Amino acid sequence: MTLDDLTRTSGEWLRGAGPESDIVMCSRIRLARNLADFPFTNRASRSEKAEIEAHFKSALEGAKIEAGYFDVNGMSNLDRQFLVERQLISRELSSGEGPRGVAVTPKENIAIMVNEEDHLRIQYMLSGFRLPQVWDEITALDDQLEDDIAYAYSSSLGYLTACPTNVGTGIRVGVMVHLPGLVANKQIDKVFRALQKINLAVRGFYGEGSQAFGDFYQISNQQTLGKSEEELIKILTDVVPQVLQYERSARQELVTGRRQHLHDQVSRAYGVLKTAQTISSEETMLLLSSVRMGINLGLIDDLSIATVNELFIQTQPAFLQKLRGSELGVEERNVARASYLRSRLGNGRPVEEG
Amino acid sequence: MICQRCQNEASVHLTERVGGKRQELHLCAGCARKAGLVLPESAPDLGLESVVQSLIVQNVGELVGELAELACPDCGTRYMDYRTDGRLGCPQDYRVFSKGLLPSLQRFHGATRHVGKTARLRPAAVHRLRLRSQLREAVAREDYEAAARLRDQIRLKDTHA
Repeated sequence: MTLDDLTRTSGEWLRGAGPESDIVMCSRIRLARNLADFPFTNRASRSEKAEIEAHFKSALEGAKIEAGYFDVNGMSNLDRQFLVERQLISRELSSGEGPRGVAVTPKENIAIMVNEEDHLRIQYMLSGFRLPQVWDEITALDDQLEDDIAYAYSSSLGYLTACPTNVGTGIRVGVMVHLPGLVANKQIDKVFRALQKINLAVRGFYGEGSQAFGDFYQISNQQTLGKSEEELIKILTDVVPQVLQYERSARQELVTGRRQHLHDQVSRAYGVLKTAQTISSEETMLLLSSVRMGINLGLIDDLSIATVNELFIQTQPAFLQKLRGSELGVEERNVARASYLRSRLGNGRPVEEG
Repeated sequence: MICQRCQNEASVHLTERVGGKRQELHLCAGCARKAGLVLPESAPDLGLESVVQSLIVQNVGELVGELAELACPDCGTRYMDYRTDGRLGCPQDYRVFSKGLLPSLQRFHGATRHVGKTARLRPAAVHRLRLRSQLREAVAREDYEAAARLRDQIRLKDTHA
């Protein structure tokens, strides 16, 4: 599997399938794990990082997981950015130093980062609201890797991690939710404050420190010690439905109170995306968000949620440049983005590559 | 109020909550300076780093003297390095810095004990990793004879794994 292969496929988590997939784009769990008897990544020497990477690769082979390994060290900036856009690596791994990389399965449901803040960051993603299933899958994968790797673990503090905010279970349980209704009725901050009060974190599309993006937000646990993985998952599975309910009533209000206005906004957004000759990334996100909500409310019937989900990723700068096979400036990207959108949305002339 | 260390008049007063318990510290200017709680009178470096350090030191309250001296024998990380960048250096640090870490864990997680999934105890794998660690040390001290012996032991274990 090569990076170029990834430009021709899309991740399972974008399929728009599974429970509540009108609002919950995907469910994600990540586990932070470290190898016993090695310093954490920030203190490990180059050769130790190489050793950790080699250990992981042999464990991956032993676990018989069909995954491609991408060596991030020595990779071009564009390729690293491409992996960040696809949610396969973090910005921290992208900008890190020394031997490091990521193992990715063809469906992109599994991504295991090596030598990020922790030696291993195991991520499992599925479309829709399916946290218990994601947990079953990722804990089995964790067990398989443990056949060959001795984890840094203490009976009192659990899995030992570079940052004490992850110690214990090392788990981050999260959902990526699309909340354009709550953004439109300006209730979003209120919901976030309520979530923060019960120790849940709300982050932007690309995780810690990133901005909201097309009205997508990640809701996840902060506490990792003193509660079991199942308990932490239960908090999310109990609380997220309430957020979904708020979002649904916000959408319903928009439909009943301002139906014509809403229909107009959604149709115009769709129209611009289908016909624009040049378009910025920000405008694209905004319009795709309207279109996505429009599909869910039955205002657009010739477009699938999966296509819109994919377009959120495939209109990002690195993807467009990988597709063209060359680096593009901002203006060239805006033209390439508009052209790609026209071709995917089935309107206008077919895309002229190159 | 008198200094808790030397009976002089105390002029520095600190309070901190550790594990829900209020702790007070009263020191005279001299003892506070010795404990690193105030900058020395002729502090040459008033850069951000030293100000941050002194704030962190104040934050740790009573444990300051003891914690400020701590360094992990395995990875060399000092407790103060951790307070500066929030990252630990190796798994051993949890044991070495436990006095300072447990109150932070209690504050952040509301707990200090793991109750989730347990790792499998795998003595063979741990032993192999330990041999590798010894090998790294042998190479570092240029003891190539020991290094060669350790390398053979690791190979043997890998073949039998």
